[in-house]
Amino acid sequence: MSEFTYSNWAREMEVYGYDSMVKSHCRMCHGGCGVLVYVKDGKVKKIAGDPDCPINHGTLCTKGLASTELVYHPDRLTHPVRRIGPKGSGKWERITWDEALDTIAERMLRYRDLHGAESVVLGYGTGRENEAVIYRFANLFGSPNVLTAGHFCYGPRIATSIITCGSNPIVDYENHPKCIMVWGNNVVISNPDCYKGEPFSLALDEGAKLIVVDPRLTRAAARANVWLQLRPGTDAALALGMCNVIVNEELYDKDFVENFVHGWEPFVQRVNEYPLERVEEITWVPRDKIREAARLYATIKPAAIQWGVAIEQQINCADNDRVLMLLMGITGNIDRMGGQVLFRPPNIRNVGQFGAHGMLPREQRDKRLGGDMFRLASRFSIINPKCVWDAILEEKPYPVKMLFFISSNPVMTRDNAKEVYRALEKADFMAVADFFLTPTAELADIVLPAATWLEMDYIADFWKRHGYILPRRKVIQVGECRSDHEMLNDLAHRVGMGEHWWDDFEKALDWILEPAKLKWRDFKEMDFLRGEVAYEKYREEGFSTPTRKFELYSTVLEKMGYDPLPQYRETPESPYSAPEVYKEYPYILITGKRLPGFFHTENRQAPSLRELHRDPIVEIHPDTAGREGIKQGDWVVIESRRGRIRHRAMLFAGLDPRIVAAQHAWWFPEKKDPGHGWAESNVNILTDNSYETCDPAMGASSVRTLLCKIYPEKT
Amino acid sequence: MSKYSLIIDDELCWGCRTCEVACKQEYEHKIKFIHVQEDGPRAVGNEFIYFHRPTVCRHCDEPPCEGACPESAISKRDDGIVVLDYDTCSGCRNCIDACPYDSVGFDEEKQIALKCNLCHHRVDRGLIPACADNVCLAHCIYFGDPASIHEQIERKRRKRQTK
Repeated sequence: MSEFTYSNWAREMEVYGYDSMVKSHCRMCHGGCGVLVYVKDGKVKKIAGDPDCPINHGTLCTKGLASTELVYHPDRLTHPVRRIGPKGSGKWERITWDEALDTIAERMLRYRDLHGAESVVLGYGTGRENEAVIYRFANLFGSPNVLTAGHFCYGPRIATSIITCGSNPIVDYENHPKCIMVWGNNVVISNPDCYKGEPFSLALDEGAKLIVVDPRLTRAAARANVWLQLRPGTDAALALGMCNVIVNEELYDKDFVENFVHGWEPFVQRVNEYPLERVEEITWVPRDKIREAARLYATIKPAAIQWGVAIEQQINCADNDRVLMLLMGITGNIDRMGGQVLFRPPNIRNVGQFGAHGMLPREQRDKRLGGDMFRLASRFSIINPKCVWDAILEEKPYPVKMLFFISSNPVMTRDNAKEVYRALEKADFMAVADFFLTPTAELADIVLPAATWLEMDYIADFWKRHGYILPRRKVIQVGECRSDHEMLNDLAHRVGMGEHWWDDFEKALDWILEPAKLKWRDFKEMDFLRGEVAYEKYREEGFSTPTRKFELYSTVLEKMGYDPLPQYRETPESPYSAPEVYKEYPYILITGKRLPGFFHTENRQAPSLRELHRDPIVEIHPDTAGREGIKQGDWVVIESRRGRIRHRAMLFAGLDPRIVAAQHAWWFPEKKDPGHGWAESNVNILTDNSYETCDPAMGASSVRTLLCKIYPEKT
Repeated sequence: MSKYSLIIDDELCWGCRTCEVACKQEYEHKIKFIHVQEDGPRAVGNEFIYFHRPTVCRHCDEPPCEGACPESAISKRDDGIVVLDYDTCSGCRNCIDACPYDSVGFDEEKQIALKCNLCHHRVDRGLIPACADNVCLAHCIYFGDPASIHEQIERKRRKRQTK
């Protein structure tokens, strides 16, 4: 096979007659994969993985490969528009960028004068590598309110890891962990944040043992040496039970525990409150299996936990993250080669500096919405969404007048969607930057056309913790679309903040790169830049925490008035915490299984991706389906105390019969009315966002676990 | 003469369906010849059988579709690739019925049969078929000499510790 080589770009150019090939960095999800972009006649014709990229080694996913279907989609917004009818009427007129940005700037300044900068809320959805520039804008403008997904996605991992061990411990796949415990994650489908499925697959090829913790069978669970099929929402109890085994069987790393942790005794006391008999009762997982998994994970070195967002969208959000980190710590897998490493970033200005968090005046910071309630979140500039909806609808504790959502579709993605919709309808002024007129954008006053990853220069993976940055190079221009960074740089000048911004955004990239003695024009010629790799740095430096130790017992949480040790709280709406509700809503509903091709609300208009999933699907055990009179492929109603939606039923034996699994973020771009079917199958019609159901430290809502009934739709 | 095969190790497939979209991109987003199908889950004792199985033309040694075609539009090349010539196809669908792997499709618009020709337009110019060109994150799609592929699959299988 010597004549064939993978990703043979020179031959590809010759055979297909492409004009050029540009190396860049995909961002159809959070970013991460190096790509080769082939161009002919000024248009992108083919996308392939970059074999030289250390993140994906040439492999890609469905989304990356289908980028062109999004970029050149006929429905794509390619110029700014202003609404000319009532909200939700779908009546728009084309305007210029100058008119759009001047209007937005004028509104921002007016609200700041009348109601304070805090009345202007900027928002983004999941991480799209625009976080830092959005925070920079808000902080310099004086608003402490940036509405993100950070309360229940990744933000908690950052917040809890910083207070526990100084940074987010990243699995060192490059050095092949010998045991991997996948917890609330389907890394091969979602390729989340710092991870890609490819290095995970390679580690298994190299002989790693596999433990999977998931209420739902995945292919990884089917391949696992041990699959722990837990009751949804009981992760903290399960992990504390595993800690119990490791402590009492003395399987922990004695050197690490003796020299590098804070709070061993109280920690031991806490885990002794979780004997396996109790844990089995809580989690529905047989105690022998818990013991087997704990022994495997604790005795094979190096071992790693591949965690995911499912553990954060619960009332136990911060404690779930913390207790999994404590497992990494006591087994001595923190900052170990092949374990989980506190990687150093390259020597550049980091997202915190670029985000200008230090420039938000203290009196403004003190006004952060929900700051007294969700104190850990607030410390990391994160707010709970309901705080914003309440501030709009009830003007408490003060009115929020303006929303500016950048790559965010909260009508689909935030819990209690009906309340979100009401708040967006009531907002005095709303601007949105996005690729399409989404159900959220349809409620805006002005919508700006956002650039995709193919249309921007940026430092990719800037915010990640794996220690790499990579150049994302602009390949094409589509219509009048502009990157979020350029758009905010321009707007900053229009609201009088020019002194902290740049003539053009390339100079901002130069500023970020300056400590590395690089300019953007140098960096874009490179494949990547990596921070210095070092292991077991704590032996010299300690951990970056108040005690300089790995904090089993968190002194920061204690100071904030929280339990310094992880504990298990029962899910607010469960068969045990709400037995009366359970009588009427007799199934546990889990949500948000990741699907190849979609990224939350995105890509349902891209034909090659939509054909992978025509309709929203609820998975239901065949026995349950039989009991409820549901057949394969039927449209069914899923109903909670808060509303009802429709999905199509798929019989799936890989679930406990007491559980059903629905999908999230479904809207229907093919429906041309301005609602685009936002309320039809939107799982957040069913979810709850009341404060008492949220994690007390992070404000995460329990969108993953609630009670429902399910029945065939009447035709 | 080299022999070319496309061999997929189902045990490693995660069901990410990237191969489907890679195929579709190669054919200008109009059509695809590979489909990942779910097999299971079925409970067997305390275990579950649950696979994702990419389904695509096997380029059989003795292709039943070849014999079934009244127009001789299907032929096996010396290098092993079974090619369906779209210009010669009359749309009788005999090949669809003959294929034991359900790997021949039909283009309703053009009224002709369709199947994976192993990207012979690429292979003949030194390029790997689209689905096998290092797109798969599980590295479970192999292209090349069948004997050496089977050897690689076996070697990897021996090293693995998962089920």
